Amino acid sequence: MFDYYNLEPVLMWIHSTMCGLMPEWLAFTIEGIAVGIFIMVMYAVLAIILIYMERKVCAAFQCRIGPDRVGGRGGLLQVPADVIKILTKEIISLKNSDKFLYALAPFLVIMASILTFSCLPWNKGGEILHMNIGIFFVLAASSIGVLGILLAGWSSNSKYTLIGAVRSGAMIISYELSIGLSVLTMVILCGTMDIQEIVAYQENGWNIFKGHLPALMAFVIYLIAGNAEANRAPFDLAEAEQELTAGYHTEYSGMHFGFFYLAEYLNLFITAGIAVTLFLGGWMPLHIAGLEGFNTIMDYIPGVIWFVGKTFFVVFLLMWIRWTFPRLRIDQVLILEWKYLMPLSLLVLVIMTVMKVFGLVF
Amino acid sequence: MSTFKDYINGYAFGIKSLLIGMRTSMKVFMQKKITERYPENRHTTLYIPERHRAMLVMPKDENGNNKCIACGLCQMACPNGTIRITSETRETEDGKKKKFLVKYEYDLGACMFCQLCVNACPHDAIRFSNHFENAVFERDKLILTLNE
Amino acid sequence: MFSLFEIAFYAVALCIIVFSVLAVTTSSILRSATYLLFVLLGTGGIYAILGYTFLSAVQLMVYAGGIIVLYVFSILLTRSSGTMKYKIRRGKMISVLLTTLVGMALVMFILATNGFALNIIPQGVELPVEKIGNALIGTEKYQFVLPFEVMSVLLLACMIGAIMIARKRN
Repeated sequence: MFDYYNLEPVLMWIHSTMCGLMPEWLAFTIEGIAVGIFIMVMYAVLAIILIYMERKVCAAFQCRIGPDRVGGRGGLLQVPADVIKILTKEIISLKNSDKFLYALAPFLVIMASILTFSCLPWNKGGEILHMNIGIFFVLAASSIGVLGILLAGWSSNSKYTLIGAVRSGAMIISYELSIGLSVLTMVILCGTMDIQEIVAYQENGWNIFKGHLPALMAFVIYLIAGNAEANRAPFDLAEAEQELTAGYHTEYSGMHFGFFYLAEYLNLFITAGIAVTLFLGGWMPLHIAGLEGFNTIMDYIPGVIWFVGKTFFVVFLLMWIRWTFPRLRIDQVLILEWKYLMPLSLLVLVIMTVMKVFGLVF
Repeated sequence: MSTFKDYINGYAFGIKSLLIGMRTSMKVFMQKKITERYPENRHTTLYIPERHRAMLVMPKDENGNNKCIACGLCQMACPNGTIRITSETRETEDGKKKKFLVKYEYDLGACMFCQLCVNACPHDAIRFSNHFENAVFERDKLILTLNE
Repeated sequence: MFSLFEIAFYAVALCIIVFSVLAVTTSSILRSATYLLFVLLGTGGIYAILGYTFLSAVQLMVYAGGIIVLYVFSILLTRSSGTMKYKIRRGKMISVLLTTLVGMALVMFILATNGFALNIIPQGVELPVEKIGNALIGTEKYQFVLPFEVMSVLLLACMIGAIMIARKRN
């Protein structure tokens, strides 16, 4: 019933036509380059949209209007103007620092971010990296990012960056546990780690309804831990402006800084996207049992719109949290994880397993 | 056992206070925004309080006369020497000698808006207006002659 | 003509060789850890080429994500003298060379008897996760419940030990 918008036949047709015109290896190479360019473009466009959204939402939470001068009344050209500014800035190099690691660190961060970004299920048949351990790969790939942060902090040879990096490292290693456990809860519910199959499992109802209480708790835990993983307030103590100027990217300028900035916003989007995949049904439309007409209309909306719409909803939730709560201290952050979130997520995991075994989920 | 109870209570209290915080910020999110779009709204919704002191003025009545008697009290009251009064003594019709105001010079660039001059004036001849758009390109233009 | 998988294999293998040599020849300890990271990523890549994506992700998560972070932490939080240029004695040199040669001979022998794994395993097919899971907790032949459980007891012992060391004494 979702086959109006299935991308797989289209992609297969493109591939077979290209194979007819040229040898297979050339077709693969061209397709690979095209997909790579597509990812990069999406990455940049989404970052611009997210930064604009962040500025507008933040303004609204502070009773302001936000950017409204550059580019008409909505301030739509403010962020592109900032992007052009950052592209034209000089990339500085530091004395007495490890130049190679200093230049490498932003690329590690952005590599981890792009790897996880390509695992998101955009539509039926619209997943770029598809493997049967998809969600586990996402967790694994996102753990490389912390290395970039640590290297950035160390190689800048500055006290602020080093403190920021070590804080960030301690925090991300801790919160990876909660993320892993809440993802595992949903993997138990779905019985698979394949992202497309997780989405397909939610055809008759999103996981958050299917798994009711434990799924809801896992969702909240995931949002908190995901916020920490993306280094955003109230967990932004790695770049606490008041204490550390800008934390681990203090010494970076121009596009090197831009990479960290991009990765921060895209990590927000990826966190939201994975949350949507696991809990809110991915690209599945909203169905209400019994309302056939409503369900049919919902089916006509393409999956990619559902996915992006739901993701931006979760992004808004995360921004709501970000602009409401004050920053935590490092000991409070670790206490929250080890004394509150971790036991709770273990409990949720056990509850979910028991319910799945006794068939108490829908 | 009581520590476990404290732990659970801490949980509940934490969640409750977080929810209150989120409700408060959502209220602000829904509120009407208070930002002033300044150059666009200067003729429409811009509101400057009546008592805002932006510039010294000398009100005139319908015949173009002001109430100043050139007594010089405001000049003496001014801590910055902002006001300079030029006056001359003329003989009125009934033979009395009386001071008349010739020029009332006021340097807006040196004024610190303390309102001592207005308080010193015995005839309420001067007051502060809330007209605040006083930017000019040269210092000389800040020296205003109020009685013209 | 090489197939696509062979090209990918040779590229990854070249990466691993270059970065392992760099990891032992560089003079800065943090750079060495970074090169080691690339070697481990390359190993993960080889597993992915073989279709064993589960092990590849484990490699990425445990080694690249976990072990390297611990390495970097210990390097950051300890004092290290900037360079690591040491004089190597002749006897040490000879023993290192001998070990290398023996290891190389072993690998060559295995390759000569069994051939490349790429030629044995069907290409482009992923190993399903259910199979791995059943192998880990099954009790039949070629199933590994005992090592799995022993490993978890070992990890539990490690954790209890860590808590004993870290806990406050009062």
